[in-house]
Amino acid sequence: MALAQTIKEKANNALGVNPLDAKITKSYFIVTFLALLIGGYLGLIQGLNRAGVFELPSWLDYYQVLTAHGLLLVLVFSSFFTIGYFYAAMSNTLGGLLPKVRKMVWIGFSMKIVGFVIAVIPLIMGDANVMYTFYPPMAASTWYYVGLVFIVLGVWMAAFGAFIQVANWRKNHKGQHLPILSYFATGVFVLLFFGTLPVAIEVFMIIPWTLGWIETLNSMLARTLFWAFGHTLVNIWYLTAVSAWYVIVPKVIGGRRFSDVLTRVVVMVLVILNITGGFHHQIVDPAISEPVKFMHVFMSLSIGFPSLMTAYAMFAVFERTGRAKGAKGLFGFFKKLPWGDVRFLAPFIAMAAFIPAGAGGIVQTTYQLDQVIHNSLWVVGHFHLTLGMSVALTFFGISYWLIPHISGRVLTKKMNKVGVITTIIWTIGMSTMSIAMHLVGLLGSPRRTSYTTYGDNATALGWDPYLIFLAVGGTFLIVAVTMQAYNAFHLMFLAPKGEEEFPIAEEEENASKTPFWTERWSRIILIMLVVVAMAYVIPLVDFIGDPGSIPWRTW
Amino acid sequence: MMTQPIIGLITLLFMMIPPVAEIMESIMILHMHMQMPMIVIAGFLMAPFFTKRFPNFFSKWNQTGIPGMLLFIIVMSYWSIPRAMDDALTYPAVELFKFISLAFLVGVPLRDSWKKISNRWQNGVLIFFFLQFTGLGILYIAAPGQLCNNYIQSEQVTLGWGFLTIAIAILVYLVQLIFINPADYE
Ligand code: HEM
Ligand SMILES: [Cu+2]
Repeated sequence: MALAQTIKEKANNALGVNPLDAKITKSYFIVTFLALLIGGYLGLIQGLNRAGVFELPSWLDYYQVLTAHGLLLVLVFSSFFTIGYFYAAMSNTLGGLLPKVRKMVWIGFSMKIVGFVIAVIPLIMGDANVMYTFYPPMAASTWYYVGLVFIVLGVWMAAFGAFIQVANWRKNHKGQHLPILSYFATGVFVLLFFGTLPVAIEVFMIIPWTLGWIETLNSMLARTLFWAFGHTLVNIWYLTAVSAWYVIVPKVIGGRRFSDVLTRVVVMVLVILNITGGFHHQIVDPAISEPVKFMHVFMSLSIGFPSLMTAYAMFAVFERTGRAKGAKGLFGFFKKLPWGDVRFLAPFIAMAAFIPAGAGGIVQTTYQLDQVIHNSLWVVGHFHLTLGMSVALTFFGISYWLIPHISGRVLTKKMNKVGVITTIIWTIGMSTMSIAMHLVGLLGSPRRTSYTTYGDNATALGWDPYLIFLAVGGTFLIVAVTMQAYNAFHLMFLAPKGEEEFPIAEEEENASKTPFWTERWSRIILIMLVVVAMAYVIPLVDFIGDPGSIPWRTW
Repeated sequence: MMTQPIIGLITLLFMMIPPVAEIMESIMILHMHMQMPMIVIAGFLMAPFFTKRFPNFFSKWNQTGIPGMLLFIIVMSYWSIPRAMDDALTYPAVELFKFISLAFLVGVPLRDSWKKISNRWQNGVLIFFFLQFTGLGILYIAAPGQLCNNYIQSEQVTLGWGFLTIAIAILVYLVQLIFINPADYE
């Protein structure tokens, strides 16, 4: 059996990409880049409206646009990319997908598309302007939530497919460590499953409430369930990006991976501590007592440990590789990095952006500081740095080799150059927009608010120059969005035929042996569940029994 | 390999700083489900220092891991009694004993024993704690009056739910063992 398996794997490697597996990733990526394109244009509309240069037509509501923008980019763009990317990684490192798994991920794909259509119809009709967070007591049309249920079920199909694939590989490779990218995939799918559980519970409370079967709903409970999910989701995108930083980038620069043990420990720690971080999104919420908020500052900051580890690891790899290539002096290794290679440049800028983004995050998770910027455009600036730079640019960097790899095409010198230019325009646009958002947020401009001068109030008029910068940044961005989507489809359908490598870096030489406890996922999940239980029990017990609210349509 | 014991020692000392201990002990569930486990973890991290320094002691008294495990279970159970928490808050000597016993009579033997005992014993210990936590959870939630002089009843209920949710997490783990045999993978 094991022998047959190895022969099959050899054959798979020799034949290159399995076309059936490639089709899965291609389909997921088509949706990814369409979502980016449409979501990006909606973002531009918002930016122009807020700067006061574009008035929305009467049939289009600002909050409708904002709901679609959030949904398309935070939900569709990122989750379709993550699933497509990790399925390609599993196909590549685990010797091809099992037929059963392929079927599951296709069913998941259709469920997500069906769910998305069901959710978008009420949104287009103006019955779901609740934004992607859909906080009760704001209530959208029931169909919106039904659509979300299908999306969650679709994600679960993909997650269980991945578990079956991984379990099967491990049965045939007893005692071996899962290849590192598949290890990341396991962590991500564990989080996707456990992170979407709370939102599933929330939506199953909301549906009977919007139908009038139950009269009231506990808003604080709903918000807490939402953020247990929302925060985890955001960190899943981050973990996906991190996988490329640890595994792909070292290969692209011609080096080796950072310590295998520490890499796996970072994944484990992120899986265990993630879900509890949700509270920092509720740091200003009433009904959570101060000692609990105080405790959660520690919970959130503890995620800083794996982040700092990552920063250290990356620079260690850069330096080692540079020195191996003959770099001298303290920072000489910098010159040896392949700046002209988009597969390196894009994720590098992504990592660099994580430095200010992380600093901003620490501000937001600190109770006293958060009170200054809570619900202001600062926060929007923050997640355009984290998601729009650190995550999105890493995903783009991956797309330049993964799309040609699965499409049997190559990344030509010319396309690489177009990619570098796209990356630079994106960086200029996102930095401008995000800096403007941070600053105007400090001055008090609220997020999620369409253009208004508050009756020509002097403070509000003072925001205008920054909002103009915001719109200028958005305009640069839309150029980059259009180019990026074009590049993706070009690499998929038009680029010259050939073979593009899937760059996975080797372990460092004379590495110490990785202990096997890193593979015991049941125990990791047990610890995770205990930590989640400890973190959530105090506030949840506090909320339960509080009076609820009837549904409101605020628009 | 001595970094772990140092981290453990620092954690233990940090938990003993009066203001830290005071915040942790001001809320019932933080006292039992955060401070106490942190002290155990500190001991767990310090264990290699002792097992390396006194290998004979551990191989003589804890050869099979069973004595260590029993010590672990007994001291753990003692510290889940409401009265024990009250005593720790009232008598400084008991408070000191809490830090020492949880670190050195719980954390250290846990680390030394867990890998020595068989799989069946490991699962037995988990089943034991599942039952104990369920029982304590019901006790703390359903008790008609205050069980501790120092904590009001609503905090007691929260702690009860804390016990129940941890018991559920252990149950999830035990149930998956029925379907997933680790021996198939290792
Ligand atoms: C062309 C590029 C983009 C532009 C011009 C843009 C612009 C904006 C603006 C102006 C807002 C704030 C509106 C407000 O609070 O009133 C916003 C919100 C948001 N953006 Fe973007 N954005 C772009 C790309 C992205 C990307 C790539 C992502 C994520 C991957 C993203 C995720 C979000 C999210 C999650 C919100 C919050 C929605 C909410 O508050 O409900 N955006 N965007
Ligand atoms: Cu968060």
